[in-house]
Amino acid sequence: MTTLRAFTCDDLFRFNNIGDRLLLNSAPQYGIPFYLQYLAHWPEYFIVAEAPGGELMGYSEGATVLMLCVFTVMGKAEGSVAREEWHGHVTALSVAPEFRRLGLAAKLMELLEEISEKKGGFFVDLFVRVSNQVAVNMYKQLGYSVYRTVLEYYSASSGEPDEDAYDMRKALSRDTGKKSIIPLPHPVRPEDIE
Amino acid sequence: ADYLDNGNNKMAIQQADKLLKKHKDLHCAKVLKAIGLQRTGKQDEAYALAQEVAALEPTDDNSLQALTILYREMHRPELVTKLYEAAVKKVPNSEEYHSHLFMAYARVGEYKKMQQAGMALYKIVPKNPYYFWSVMSLIMQSISAQDEHLSKTMFLPLAERMVEKMVKEDKIEAEAEVELYYMILERLEKYKEALDVVRGKLGEKLTSELQSRENKCMAMYKKLCRWPECNALSRRLLLKNSDDWQFYITYFDSVFQLIDESWTPPPEEEHSLEGEVHYSIEQAVKFIEERITEESQSSRPLRGPYLAKLELIRRLRHRGCNDEYKLGDPEELMFQYFKKFGDKPCCFTDLKVFVDLLPSSQYTKFIGELLGVIPLAAGAGNGAALPADIRALQQHLCVVQLSRLLGLYHAMEKQQKLTVVRELMVRYRHGLEFGKSCLKTELQFSDYYCLLAVHLLLDLWLEGEDTAVWQCLTLLEEGLSHSPSNAQFKLLLIRIYCRLGAFEPVAELYSSLDAKHIQHDTIGYLLTRYAEALGHYAAASQSCNFALRFFHSNQKDTSEYIIQAYKYGAFEKIPEFIAFRNRLNSSLHFAQVRTERMLLDLLLEANISTSLEESVKSMSLSPEEDDIPWKDLRDNRDLTVLFNWDPKDKDISEEHRKLSLEEETLWLRIRSLTLRLVSGLPSLSHPLQPRNSEKAAENGVSSRIDTVRALLQQLEAALEAGKKFLEQKIQYPVLGPPPTRMAGFFSSGSCQCQTSLFYLVSDIYELDTNGLEDSAEIQERIGNSFKSLVERLTDLFNKCKGDLIEVRDGTLKTHPNLLENLVFFVETISIALWVSSYCDSVLRPFKSNLQKKKKKKKESSVTMPPVFTHFLDYVTELQTLTSNVIDHIKGLEIILTALKLEELSLKDTLLLQEEKKFTKTVQGKVQSSYHHSVQEIGELLKKRLDTIKKLKI
Repeated sequence: MTTLRAFTCDDLFRFNNIGDRLLLNSAPQYGIPFYLQYLAHWPEYFIVAEAPGGELMGYSEGATVLMLCVFTVMGKAEGSVAREEWHGHVTALSVAPEFRRLGLAAKLMELLEEISEKKGGFFVDLFVRVSNQVAVNMYKQLGYSVYRTVLEYYSASSGEPDEDAYDMRKALSRDTGKKSIIPLPHPVRPEDIE
Repeated sequence: ADYLDNGNNKMAIQQADKLLKKHKDLHCAKVLKAIGLQRTGKQDEAYALAQEVAALEPTDDNSLQALTILYREMHRPELVTKLYEAAVKKVPNSEEYHSHLFMAYARVGEYKKMQQAGMALYKIVPKNPYYFWSVMSLIMQSISAQDEHLSKTMFLPLAERMVEKMVKEDKIEAEAEVELYYMILERLEKYKEALDVVRGKLGEKLTSELQSRENKCMAMYKKLCRWPECNALSRRLLLKNSDDWQFYITYFDSVFQLIDESWTPPPEEEHSLEGEVHYSIEQAVKFIEERITEESQSSRPLRGPYLAKLELIRRLRHRGCNDEYKLGDPEELMFQYFKKFGDKPCCFTDLKVFVDLLPSSQYTKFIGELLGVIPLAAGAGNGAALPADIRALQQHLCVVQLSRLLGLYHAMEKQQKLTVVRELMVRYRHGLEFGKSCLKTELQFSDYYCLLAVHLLLDLWLEGEDTAVWQCLTLLEEGLSHSPSNAQFKLLLIRIYCRLGAFEPVAELYSSLDAKHIQHDTIGYLLTRYAEALGHYAAASQSCNFALRFFHSNQKDTSEYIIQAYKYGAFEKIPEFIAFRNRLNSSLHFAQVRTERMLLDLLLEANISTSLEESVKSMSLSPEEDDIPWKDLRDNRDLTVLFNWDPKDKDISEEHRKLSLEEETLWLRIRSLTLRLVSGLPSLSHPLQPRNSEKAAENGVSSRIDTVRALLQQLEAALEAGKKFLEQKIQYPVLGPPPTRMAGFFSSGSCQCQTSLFYLVSDIYELDTNGLEDSAEIQERIGNSFKSLVERLTDLFNKCKGDLIEVRDGTLKTHPNLLENLVFFVETISIALWVSSYCDSVLRPFKSNLQKKKKKKKESSVTMPPVFTHFLDYVTELQTLTSNVIDHIKGLEIILTALKLEELSLKDTLLLQEEKKFTKTVQGKVQSSYHHSVQEIGELLKKRLDTIKKLKI
């Protein structure tokens, strides 16, 4: 039971109410400019799934709707078509703890893939912390595989390099030979990724 | 230029100078030098240099770009428009300069000029986006037009015609252009036409967004009240995805609308544009039952159909229909739902929506039934039956949350509640077993047990059980030690510490929440309400700074992305971004931190490190200026950031929000008027000019006193309104909005002192313009004011007396109100001293004149007017009083240090050894925080005492 809809600026005021952290911080480097940049450029990729709690939407006069579940897939289509690099990218995906284990992440990933298919992308990719086994496994279940390791992709708030990332990919129907997902033999540095 | 990029501004200036020696008129070098100057703080020089270049109307790319950067850094975006206006005049065919000009207008919101610039561009290069930039600028003109009529009769129709022209010529290319067309028609309320566009050929371009066409059609059907289409479309979408809640809502809404209209399908025709329509309860019931049947065969369990059934029952009941029996008994349905989804963390929030379908007499039985189906293993010995795995734990947690929601715990006796607390904590600690492999950033599965236990203890505390609050803190600290990322633990700790008057631990907790950007607006109130009020001045400054930095950067950031939205054709986002910017600019919290920050700066610095006059000047404060958008203030606070499971009647209501906003606004008005009154003080005195009322009037001083008197009247009105508000004695829920400092301001007497002080200013001004002759009456009035002020300030001091922390019956009890009163005292005495120094500046010249006379006449017959003695006495009394308060604070410090918490016998046998450890930590934190408060207050007061010595004329 969720409602899928486009993310709006007003949502920024509402998504504090998340158990393990303040949701908007799930990606520490993201400030207001980050959100606005995405909304200006790829509004269609910025999706929220919300569950009505407290007052149901149908009855409330708007203001009392409690947002209890939030998650966003932010992706962007990037790369050039000629080199078969045109692809969808998952920038962030977060699900409030209360709404985990419902298959919502899978659902949102499906949507992202659907949009990327429509846009004629060759693949969808995402970065994930090497240590985040839960996420890596989840993405594997959804058909993603590790394409390469990006060394010291994540940095701590001090700016020091913190952790490596897996670049995981899933080929879309346009990539008939599934060339885009053939794993690279060697890890790359963050400055080498386009 | 490289030097600039590297931040080496000095080298950049030198290099630019070198270049300029060789080529005297190299514009670009001049601008680069100007950037260097700007960045090294030489704004005036930079501006002059830039204007020199700009006056030449440069047309080389480098100069233009560099100037653009410079103006942006100067926060003068309007100068960029001038720059490119000149450039396009000289190079009229430049696509690039025209487009820069458009963006420059966009940055400052010059919609009309944008419209023209867009068209000019299109004429040079007929690309569609340029044309539609122009159209969008028309929409923006209509949005910003004050006159709605004008907007609907002029701007929008013009925009519509412009698009229609392109449609006729078959020139529509992009999806964004169709979106824009739809946007115009929607704003014109031409819903029928909008619908035709979406359903027609152009609508085929709407592909990016999810179900873009369907959603737009649905919106239009609703606007047109075309219920058959609403119904058929939502039905179809539900067939595709029976878990999307918004379509159930539309489906039900439309079914009942159709029933009310006694709609029947047209014979021998399609039901509607969107196909089959359901228009009876029977059909709806059948449809939902089918969704459930379908769900039972799907691989992934879907909650939607089951909840839709409950929703339908609720709607039937709401209408007084007797048909709900067809769907089953809600209690049974909820029981079944729990059996199916009870192990999901969302089960509670799902059922929460429907608990009012249960009769209250059934609550206990219902909870019992749920408990009955959870696989719990009987605990060893006398222990509770515990879950064997995470699923069972989750189910049990759901039941506990529901019990709280149904008010079962609220109804319990004290002893029963304590027993439940014990049990929940046993379950909490047991549940930690399951989360041993959790990362530090993850929550423990059983965290809610702990949180719920704390909520029960909070109830007990509010019922007068003093020990309970320490247990709350103890359990929360324990919880946090196991689950260091749990924001709810932190938020609750923050609220409770603040209520106890201990701000020190809060700063650290808040910073570990890692609140960012917009959260400075939405949850910043948690900090700013208490930091200054409890005498943590440094922390108060810091938290205001965080917030202000965010608000100030917002303005710049949003403009940037508005421009990007034009570039990428995300037209619907443009009004949204502007509304977002406005919402932040008119934020209540923003206005509050702005005001409090300035008051705080004055409190800490004015007449200590710099004169009041300089301080006021450096903040560009002026008593005439009111920068708060009172009518448009937006309350962006997130008042539900703390979880609670309270029944509806105990929860935070819309009424509480409204009242809290009212209270905050009243208090803000009082504070802002106080600030403006203080900022008016320096302008009243002109020590170097001859005291002559006519001259004064010429100098505008008399209008200044008028301003001050008018503000004083407004302050009186605001105080009256505040008093009325407080008479309602509103009690917000404990986790709801924190009350403002207004009640303390009145009850401490600080309010009366401050108003009398401002009246005194008015009297002294009168004496100043009148001169000493024939002023006996004014002098007497001033003398009386002095006396009553000393009395009032002494009363205020008396309200600060008492132990801050006392040990009673083996428990600690804190008195945060004494601390808040002390802070009010310091603020009030500071205002008293500012007023005194104004008084001093008036009396001093009088005195020296008199002394001159005395010397000339060489006789003792010139008597000193009484006002001098009054003032001297007054200042002496202020000095004594302040010294006394400082002594009192020293005493408090000694008591606080001497307070040996270890010796506190923690009699509560319920406490485990582990818990005792946390209790000690907690009490230590509170003690240390009070110590910190008292120290900061004491130090500030000592600085204030030093300033008194200068006042002895």
